[in-house]
Amino acid sequence: MHTSADLERRQRFERVVTALHPALYRYAAWLCRDPGIAEVVVQESLLRAWRSLDSLREDDAAKQWLLTIVRRENARYFERKNPNMVDIDELSVSQAAMIAESAEPDVEEVRQAIHGLDVEYREPLMLQVLMGYSTREIADLMGIRQGAVLTRLHRARLKLKAIITADGCRVVLRDNG
Amino acid sequence: MNCDEYREAIAADPSESFHGGAAHAAGCEACSNCRQEMRALDERIARALAIDVPEFEMPVLPPIEADDGRRAGAAAPTFRASRFSMPLWMGLAAAVVVAAVLVTGVPEREPGGQDLVDQIMAHMDHEEASRQVTAVPVATQTLNEVVSRQVSGMDQDIGLITYAMSCVINGRTVPHLVIQGSRGPVTLILLPEETVDAPIPLSGDNVHGVLLPVGSGSIAVIGQREDQLDEIGRIGQKLAKSVEWNI
Repeated sequence: MHTSADLERRQRFERVVTALHPALYRYAAWLCRDPGIAEVVVQESLLRAWRSLDSLREDDAAKQWLLTIVRRENARYFERKNPNMVDIDELSVSQAAMIAESAEPDVEEVRQAIHGLDVEYREPLMLQVLMGYSTREIADLMGIRQGAVLTRLHRARLKLKAIITADGCRVVLRDNG
Repeated sequence: MNCDEYREAIAADPSESFHGGAAHAAGCEACSNCRQEMRALDERIARALAIDVPEFEMPVLPPIEADDGRRAGAAAPTFRASRFSMPLWMGLAAAVVVAAVLVTGVPEREPGGQDLVDQIMAHMDHEEASRQVTAVPVATQTLNEVVSRQVSGMDQDIGLITYAMSCVINGRTVPHLVIQGSRGPVTLILLPEETVDAPIPLSGDNVHGVLLPVGSGSIAVIGQREDQLDEIGRIGQKLAKSVEWNI
């Protein structure tokens, strides 16, 4: 039933998204902090990406393109449903499973601390540490200034450090963001 | 660069890609130690962020060019609405119930439910032609006309909808849709005014599916082959989470 052009398009799409799926899922999961919602967001994002695949000129740019779609789709999801946000002490079953899936206590502790960060800190940290993004790339994706990215990143680390370690070097917290 | 500036910068970028960082750390033991702490912290953060990823499942991709030249997906039907009209845990619970019913069945059916089941089964016999394998989507206008009176919201990403007809079942005119599943056509009969207390398996010649309670109504999800039951369960779960009745 598919034309050769359609098949070619499908093959290109599969090639692009299959390799990037783990990154897309983790990005969505840490954005929304819920693996169930993350799966929905990723699936919706892939459908949007499929419909607008022609706008992706170079496959090398697919990661940034797809992450942007996931970011917007996540925002749309929460605009639509405005679900009640839960306190860190009132995790849903799936959220608790996301934190506790590792057998390592240290990983669970850090995961819980990251889970408790506001998204404005959690997102750039994830993009830098997990995706290897530069602060310029993070600024482009999030639509904020590079200086603001730097401020958020250093605050994110200080907040985590304060939660999971009792000692360490002194770092000045400046309000320049 | 002084120590405060360095420590602020290294906390934002432990890779130390910023200008002048390496030179400062080389001459300052305290800042060098701070860099090590930040890098050790980053290793812990990286391990924590690397959560398990579920197996990749490609969504059903609609054809891009429809017969009349429209781009599929460009004009979404007006009754489109968001997913998850009930909490996630309820959807997951519903999925478990659907799966259990599809596998094991239920021991008894209510008399009213049995009448409805009989009517659905009879209707399936009458409309065999609706279950064609095709890549041609039903016209958006037709879909809206059939569905919008009784349904205000439904996740249309369940699959390519290739058939939509208003049909009479149990004395009421209801939407009858067919989507293209990965293993063949799947029939959906949306019954906003037919209440069932629990999922009811539907089984017969070329009929394998389930009648699901959805809010104040119910939805029949039916395939032709037994190996479609997994997909039917997933479709039923999506519908249970997304359908919002007008009635």
